[in-house]
Amino acid sequence: MHHISKRASALTASAAALALILSGCSAGGSGGGQQASANKTLVVDNTFDLKTSDPARAFELTGSIVDKALYETALTFEGSDVTKPVPQLTTYSMSDDDKTITLTLDGKHVFSSGNPVTIDDIVWSYKRVQGIAGNPSFLLSNLSTGKPFTIEKTSDTTMTISDTVANPALPYILPNPSLGVLDSKTLEENGGTTDKDDKAESYLNGKSAGSGPYQLSSYNATSKVVFVKNPEYTGTAPKYGRVVLQNVTGPSQKTDVQGGQAQLALNLNSQQVNGLESGSIKVAKTTSANVGYLWLNQNEQVSGGVTNDPDFVKAVRHAIDYEALRTVAGSGSTQPGGIVPSQFLGALESDENNTTDAAAAKSDLASSGYAEQTVTLSYPTDATLDGVSFADMAQSVQSNLQDAGITVKLNGLPIATLLDSFRAGKLQAGLMYWGPDFPDPSDYLTFSPGEGLGLRAGWTESMSPEVTKAKEAAIAAEGDARAAAYQAWQKASNADGAFVPLVQAARYAVTNGVTGVTPNAIWTVDLASIE
Amino acid sequence: MTAVPLRRRRAPSLPVAWRRPAALAGALVLLAWVVVALIVPLLPLEDPLRQSVGAAFQAPSAAHLFGTDQLGRDVLSRTLWGVRSSLPLAVALVAGSLVIGSVLGALAGYLGGVVDEVIMRVADLVFAFPTIILAMVVAAALGPSLVNAVIALLIVSWPNYARVMRALVLGARGQEYVIAGRLLGAGPLTSLRRDVLPNVSAPMLVLAMLDFGNQILLLAGLSFLGLGAVPPTPEWGSMVADGVVQFSSWWLATFPGLAIFSVVVAFNLIGDSLRDALDPRTAGAVQGSSI
Repeated sequence: MHHISKRASALTASAAALALILSGCSAGGSGGGQQASANKTLVVDNTFDLKTSDPARAFELTGSIVDKALYETALTFEGSDVTKPVPQLTTYSMSDDDKTITLTLDGKHVFSSGNPVTIDDIVWSYKRVQGIAGNPSFLLSNLSTGKPFTIEKTSDTTMTISDTVANPALPYILPNPSLGVLDSKTLEENGGTTDKDDKAESYLNGKSAGSGPYQLSSYNATSKVVFVKNPEYTGTAPKYGRVVLQNVTGPSQKTDVQGGQAQLALNLNSQQVNGLESGSIKVAKTTSANVGYLWLNQNEQVSGGVTNDPDFVKAVRHAIDYEALRTVAGSGSTQPGGIVPSQFLGALESDENNTTDAAAAKSDLASSGYAEQTVTLSYPTDATLDGVSFADMAQSVQSNLQDAGITVKLNGLPIATLLDSFRAGKLQAGLMYWGPDFPDPSDYLTFSPGEGLGLRAGWTESMSPEVTKAKEAAIAAEGDARAAAYQAWQKASNADGAFVPLVQAARYAVTNGVTGVTPNAIWTVDLASIE
Repeated sequence: MTAVPLRRRRAPSLPVAWRRPAALAGALVLLAWVVVALIVPLLPLEDPLRQSVGAAFQAPSAAHLFGTDQLGRDVLSRTLWGVRSSLPLAVALVAGSLVIGSVLGALAGYLGGVVDEVIMRVADLVFAFPTIILAMVVAAALGPSLVNAVIALLIVSWPNYARVMRALVLGARGQEYVIAGRLLGAGPLTSLRRDVLPNVSAPMLVLAMLDFGNQILLLAGLSFLGLGAVPPTPEWGSMVADGVVQFSSWWLATFPGLAIFSVVVAFNLIGDSLRDALDPRTAGAVQGSSI
């Protein structure tokens, strides 16, 4: 026994020594002063979903982090605030009919090749996004009409983007890193075109061609992406001269950031960050813009005469334990008041229709025609709401509804199967989520009676004229009146609608010795702002 | 080879099997699980479905011996209730594939000809796919539920029995006592039932015993993949799946995993000892079947 305990204590001592050395390293990384850190390396851990760094083809979370560091966009968002587009390469103005946005180049930006950023580069980059027809191409077309926007150069410093219908969301679409502006001269020399013949992807996966704070040093879609400073960058120079973004799984991210091998970990879950904060390790919580919601089918044929009963819908709204769902989704998660995520323009803070109230649930259920029928609640088994299992949320909802006297059968389906049946409007009830295409409430109008998502829940225009009226008012609203109009539309939907917004999960950014990490709903994190 | 009427050998050798310590250990573990399955509603346990999200992810303690899961449910209670999903279904599954496989195999072996060709080619078709992959395909097509998982596994596991049975019947068919029976006027089905089947039942029983562990694993595997038990049913495979994504809460996967392990090992110990005790020729017979 003696022998063992001696060895154990020797082990503990050497482990402590190792920890000291490692913490010394990380202290050097952060405390070395700004001058020293200019040549220092920042290591960021991320669980990769990287497919390409070509902005016109990338629409993944990791791809957005990469493209945000390499490319600038016409407009951008400041920090975490996605409610107000601000100028980056250009300033903007909207036409009176909200159909056209005019971009005016400020002429101060330069690509890493030394070429100045011109209006031709922006037009070329946008046409390339449309022409390649990759995953992000929908950004430059109207989601409901499907018609691509018209992109035109109007002078050497101005251009226009026009939709066929009023589209106040235009300035909110442009900050997406997939609309990063590329050096068209360099790309054309390397196979770049604005149609399907484009062959510049492999070039862009080796070298970047942007005006962003960093340029690509090395790229491997499965292991790591290395960035070095772009010497031509005209904005505030980033603090770190070199950034390594590496593919690491959750549990290893935790040990990396604890040991100081990484200064930032982006994919830890609520369990893993529990009790992690100590010393130089800080946990920043933000709310994801993905909204988990419950739908109740309003179509008589699908609803079984149950889920289309307005009193039954009310009972469900009051029976759900929203706080329990927030607990399941991890600390820092939020219950949105409406279907628009809490951080977007027009978000509703809360709504008395979606509150836990067991007594109200009982009386609503009693006045409904519910007679012990079993309600089938479908949910995706192979997708998560920012890491939160839909099966867990479904079980929580099932238990809440059962407490209120509603019998629920769970029906877990692979997401592809679920979407097939959901799109066909064949599922009685279920859980899904909506991730924003761009941070504007108009992206959520599809959750209206007679619109795409509404019809998936069997909700037709004639069922809720009030909601349709509120939707039309929201579309017609301009400028500062938009927020209130969208809130009124959500209030109407909560009073008489097929969707119950449930929860937005939390996201965690764990740092060791660095600051300036401002989480953003569109590009997760701006590597250049880290200090 | 002389035909040894097995009935005479089996009577004294069955108790011999239980005298082997390994078999006894296996039998005791299994007996314990059967008792748990029968009396679990009477045990002073928490409701396995009762959620308390405020008390989620609690490490094992006096209040929760096996800790709590992601929805604050008691893992001990869920593990013990889980035996009610796994054991009866495994029994049904093995019994089902034993019956289906034996009948088809015996017909193929005894009748030969077209019947043999058809049955064995269908079996080959099933054998052409890896078991778990084919089971996943069938289970996914039928939709997730434990019963559908059992049906899927039935479809993939009967050919094993059919092949062994066919080989055994082929061997027995030429024995003098069978021929004698036929000469005395027994029809093919009577001969099969009275003279052949009793003499090939022992190796089939051993095969079934050894297969139990395998089937429990496959059932748990399908649930693990989300193709078996539907939440919130406590089931070992899906409990392990819940635990795997919550790596830091080791108790979530460990205890249901140990439960699966104990049952599988118990069945294998019993099966091994049965094989040794019941019929020393079995190993040869089973091997011969693959020719």
